[in-house]
Amino acid sequence: MSLKKTDVLLKIRDLKIQGYSDETWVDIIKGVDLTLHRGEVMGLIGESGAGKSTIGAAAMGYARDGTRIVEGSSIEFDGIELTTSTEGEKRALRGSRIAYVAQSAAASFNPAHKLIDQHTEAPVQYRIKKRLEAQEDAIELYERLRLPNPGEIGFRYPHQVSGGQLQRAMTAMAMSCRPDLIIFDEPTTALDVTTQIEVLAAIRDIVDQFNTAAIYITHDLAVVAQMADTIKVLLKGEEVEEAPTDQMLENPQEDYTKSLWAVRSFTSPQKHRPTDGTPPLISVKNVDASYSNGPKILDDVSFDIYEGMTVAVVGESGSGKSTTARVITGLLPPSEGEVLFKGEPFPAYYKDRSKDQLRQCQMIYQMADTALNPKVQISEIIGRPAQFYSGLKGTALKTRVDELLDLIELEPSKYYNRYPPELSGGQKQRIGIARALAAEPSFIVCDEVTSALDQLVAEGILRLLDRLQNELNLAYMFITHDLATVRSIADEVVVMQNGQVVEQGPKDDMFTPPHHPYTDLLLSSVPEMDPNWLTTLLEERGVDNIGDAAAAKIDPDDDKVEGTQA
Amino acid sequence: MVFVILYFALLLLLSCGAAYYNQRSAFLLLFSLTLVSLVLAIIGGIPALRFVAIAAGMLLAAGMMSYAFREFLTALASDEMAKELRTAPLTAAFGMFVIFIVAVMGIFAPAIAPHGEAEIISQAFAPPDNNMLLGADQLGRDMFSRIIYGARNTVALALCGTVLAFILGAMAGLLAATKGGFFDGTMGRIADVIMSIPSLIFALLMLSIFGGSLAAPSTSAWLLFGFAVIVGTLFLAAAAYSVLSWIIGAAIVVGVSFAFALAFTSVFDASEVILILVVAVIYSPRVFRLTRAVAGNVVVMDYIEAAKLRGEKNWYLIRREILPNSTAPLVAEFGLEFCFVFLLIAGLSFLGLGIQPPTADWGSMVRENATLISFGEITPLIPAAAIALLTVAVNFVVDWMLHRSSGLKE
Repeated sequence: MSLKKTDVLLKIRDLKIQGYSDETWVDIIKGVDLTLHRGEVMGLIGESGAGKSTIGAAAMGYARDGTRIVEGSSIEFDGIELTTSTEGEKRALRGSRIAYVAQSAAASFNPAHKLIDQHTEAPVQYRIKKRLEAQEDAIELYERLRLPNPGEIGFRYPHQVSGGQLQRAMTAMAMSCRPDLIIFDEPTTALDVTTQIEVLAAIRDIVDQFNTAAIYITHDLAVVAQMADTIKVLLKGEEVEEAPTDQMLENPQEDYTKSLWAVRSFTSPQKHRPTDGTPPLISVKNVDASYSNGPKILDDVSFDIYEGMTVAVVGESGSGKSTTARVITGLLPPSEGEVLFKGEPFPAYYKDRSKDQLRQCQMIYQMADTALNPKVQISEIIGRPAQFYSGLKGTALKTRVDELLDLIELEPSKYYNRYPPELSGGQKQRIGIARALAAEPSFIVCDEVTSALDQLVAEGILRLLDRLQNELNLAYMFITHDLATVRSIADEVVVMQNGQVVEQGPKDDMFTPPHHPYTDLLLSSVPEMDPNWLTTLLEERGVDNIGDAAAAKIDPDDDKVEGTQA
Repeated sequence: MVFVILYFALLLLLSCGAAYYNQRSAFLLLFSLTLVSLVLAIIGGIPALRFVAIAAGMLLAAGMMSYAFREFLTALASDEMAKELRTAPLTAAFGMFVIFIVAVMGIFAPAIAPHGEAEIISQAFAPPDNNMLLGADQLGRDMFSRIIYGARNTVALALCGTVLAFILGAMAGLLAATKGGFFDGTMGRIADVIMSIPSLIFALLMLSIFGGSLAAPSTSAWLLFGFAVIVGTLFLAAAAYSVLSWIIGAAIVVGVSFAFALAFTSVFDASEVILILVVAVIYSPRVFRLTRAVAGNVVVMDYIEAAKLRGEKNWYLIRREILPNSTAPLVAEFGLEFCFVFLLIAGLSFLGLGIQPPTADWGSMVRENATLISFGEITPLIPAAAIALLTVAVNFVVDWMLHRSSGLKE
């Protein structure tokens, strides 16, 4: 992965992009320079709103609706000035010489056509290959990207293929015309760690093999460290610094970059279970559950959550983490087993629970966008639970809302009358937390609360949750697939796979070997800041023993499996 | 001759000016108009050119009027509304202007109209003169006054019909989306049954049973009462959560329905009440379907789940969580349905089953004066044009609202 000294492919000079809001044009990108050589991979990182995706789109000469590239900016792709070329000229480049891989492959593929038909569309359209040639080429690319069944997978529809495979299929599609430049816009953000690693390995290989230049946009530092030759850090539409990956990781110059690097340092001290025999706050006992007579989603799940402690439930998607939360909150009554609250059985269905029982157990959601009603003011979102459970009215209610806003570190006078769409992602998540707190619960389910947020913002949320736990003696059930989050906030860890608890215990024990092989797989799949991490891992494990393939290979009779399931 | 020279001089001057200042689209438009005018002048002579000039002038006038009206509204409205209005297209401003004019016409009809709607003041089909701006109809009544009264009658009926259809349909839709299951299925099948009967035939059937000139005041009052009780029951199903609240609620519903029926029958006469009810019943299934679909998308959101887990009742869910997020498409649908209802009433009046003479109404005015068409008079086209203008105007406004509501989703 050394920097290939070849000619310049993309040269962006003084790029300024404006967006239209409140009847004026506001600068989004404030003069960014970028030089990309042939075969070079550049990582663009920064928090959301930094303008990463906007720059990515601008590299194709494209400005999204409601934005415009300001005159005086220059985007030169292989000698062609994109800012002045006509729409037709730009269209001829896109797809054939510049390709784009979107964040959500599931949403970006057309569900009505087979993968391979979408794959061959560009080469046939540009008259680079005949349809059959293009299909053969597609199958070859699928093989190189190590998709299972390369000869057959292309003839499926997008919904018949898993998320990680779709993302690889989209990379293959981007490769179909052998472009000079591919723009990857957060290709692995929506994926699990175990799936992410497959996609990363595949993308890195193929970019290397065809000597394609790439712009890799992400907010995950560890990921970018694996992928990029050079890293450019952006903040609010301006460049903070740019350096080759090794140098950037070892010796960041700017304060902002250093703060990004330091994010993962937050850890809360581990607490231990009380020893005086108080019953656990929430106790899940041998729960089986399924959706309307379908297959069993949860299979004999049991764990305890003690007062004031954080239990992290980890596992990849489909492992039953969220379903467990639904059983505890009463949205999905279990088919077997029960949930105890302070030793007393909790009614299985939420409608059978009393107001006080409902109050005890609150929830914070992953997507703050859909968890807050966009047409209701903040004061009512937070005030409603206080009014509903405690019967507060008038001044008392307003005081309570102000108190809660203070608690989540938002200025009450400023946010009291706002609506959720006027807030940033992190602020919305804070409002979600305040809504849960307003009920004065003893237990909160946090369903992937940080996974939609940038690392800096996510860290702020974690610190806030930790502080609130100490002040209000709350218990958290922390659902996540991000092990870094687990490391920083959890007291106990429950690992789930295919609806079963495969391992559980205090955090310190869980992060020290020996592990259950599945835990081991999860742990080893978390990208680290070392730029050689992926290379080393692939050497150790072999390219075919990562991700889903590895998870399927776990031998149920393994000693460690027997040992840890006790 | 002078007109032709002036006409071409103006066009050429404008197109040269547009070309000089690099106004590409304006230039293309003006110059192609010049070329077309050349051909028209050869085929149609001076009258054709005059027609083009008048049409262009009217378009320009309408455009300027809409622009001025938009600026006027912007100046009057509050900050937030002003921002929305400023981004409104000219067509929407034109639509609002026409609606405004029709509303003024309807509300102040007795003050504006020079003669009464049933007053016979001259011979049948008298030509326009200083007293009668648009001439007289087949009985010698003033056409202009009748158009103004017609705005009042037709629009008021259409508005009432649409509002009732919306209250019934939207409430049922919201409830079906929230409750789901058996209730949802039953309501859906009822809606299917009503929708499966062609609307015009259904209306004719209902009107020939209850309506027309045979309509009895007591029948109409009872039907209104029944309608109100159905709507009330839906509200009750959403709001009530215990046996006691059902009993109290039922008493309130009966009382309110009774008062509602009395009030309505005192404002409208029996045949009009029947017409409104028929319209409400025919159009409510469409509203039901739309509302159910829109609310169905909202119900699955996490904030609804959060509210349910909090222990909120259906009434709060509908009122505070679902309804605010479904208003935009519902308002747009309201405008659209209003047009359909308006056209249905006009059509029924044209067939003689809608509003009863001598009450003025645009639809029946077209029919009554239809014979004049064969004499080359445009009189029957004036009420028809009024119907068309209002329909187009409402659609312009609705288009803008639809655009706005879809734009917000980004």
